[in-house]
Amino acid sequence: MKRMLAISLLIGLAAGLAGCYDEPGVTVYEPGVYKGDHDPLLDKMASEDHRETLQARFRTVQTDR
Amino acid sequence: MARMKFLCDADRCIECNGCVTACKNENEVPWGVNRRRVVTLNDGEAGEKSISVACMHCTDAPCAAVCPVDCFYTTTDGIVLHDKDLCIGCGYCFYACPFGAPQYPQQEAFGVRGKMDKCTFCAGGPPADNSDDEYAKYGANRIAEGKLPACAEMCATKALIAGDGDLIADIYRKRVLKRGGRPDTWGWDAAYGDKV
Repeated sequence: MKRMLAISLLIGLAAGLAGCYDEPGVTVYEPGVYKGDHDPLLDKMASEDHRETLQARFRTVQTDR
Repeated sequence: MARMKFLCDADRCIECNGCVTACKNENEVPWGVNRRRVVTLNDGEAGEKSISVACMHCTDAPCAAVCPVDCFYTTTDGIVLHDKDLCIGCGYCFYACPFGAPQYPQQEAFGVRGKMDKCTFCAGGPPADNSDDEYAKYGANRIAEGKLPACAEMCATKALIAGDGDLIADIYRKRVLKRGGRPDTWGWDAAYGDKV
């Protein structure tokens, strides 16, 4: 009987100590995968013509006076 | 591949807030939300400097890294956008952003913030380009029209420039050479002076 009690106490102690364990490593979260709707602008920006249009616009309105 | 960036030349910015007004006008930004604002350092003292700040469309955007619902996406040209239909208004992106770019339209009790709003580089959001739905949620989509952000195009002194990062760098390099020195807007001396 005493042996059973000692074993159950040991198991309880081990379980209790295991509960106190704290993971020392730092969890690093990576950006997730976008879950929203597809933006049609992405297709437009892939075109070379659109990129050239934006660059031409930049040279027209953003250059120094 | 172009990387769309903003650059504010503090030696040219005259704190007129024209960029803020242009942004609000172009995008019908709700009252209380400032997608762009002008910050002045050492205001009122000789040598004060002003810079116009909005979302900087970070290459490794911390807002996207912390978003629990993954509502951020980055276009092929590096513009960081988000889907308001997914946003739960938790505010994590606001805490993560070093520029204070994410804004919330509601200030009510119990943390009700509403959907996050921020600068879109005038590139709208996921709904169809230049649709009413897109305009209501995100504002104008000037990029789809072949135009650049209204704030930069309206800047009277060309302090604020927006576009391909390589082209911006060329312009700024020429300005610095013409001024005959390195920019003293940032760097160790600007931040700490000669005391450290």
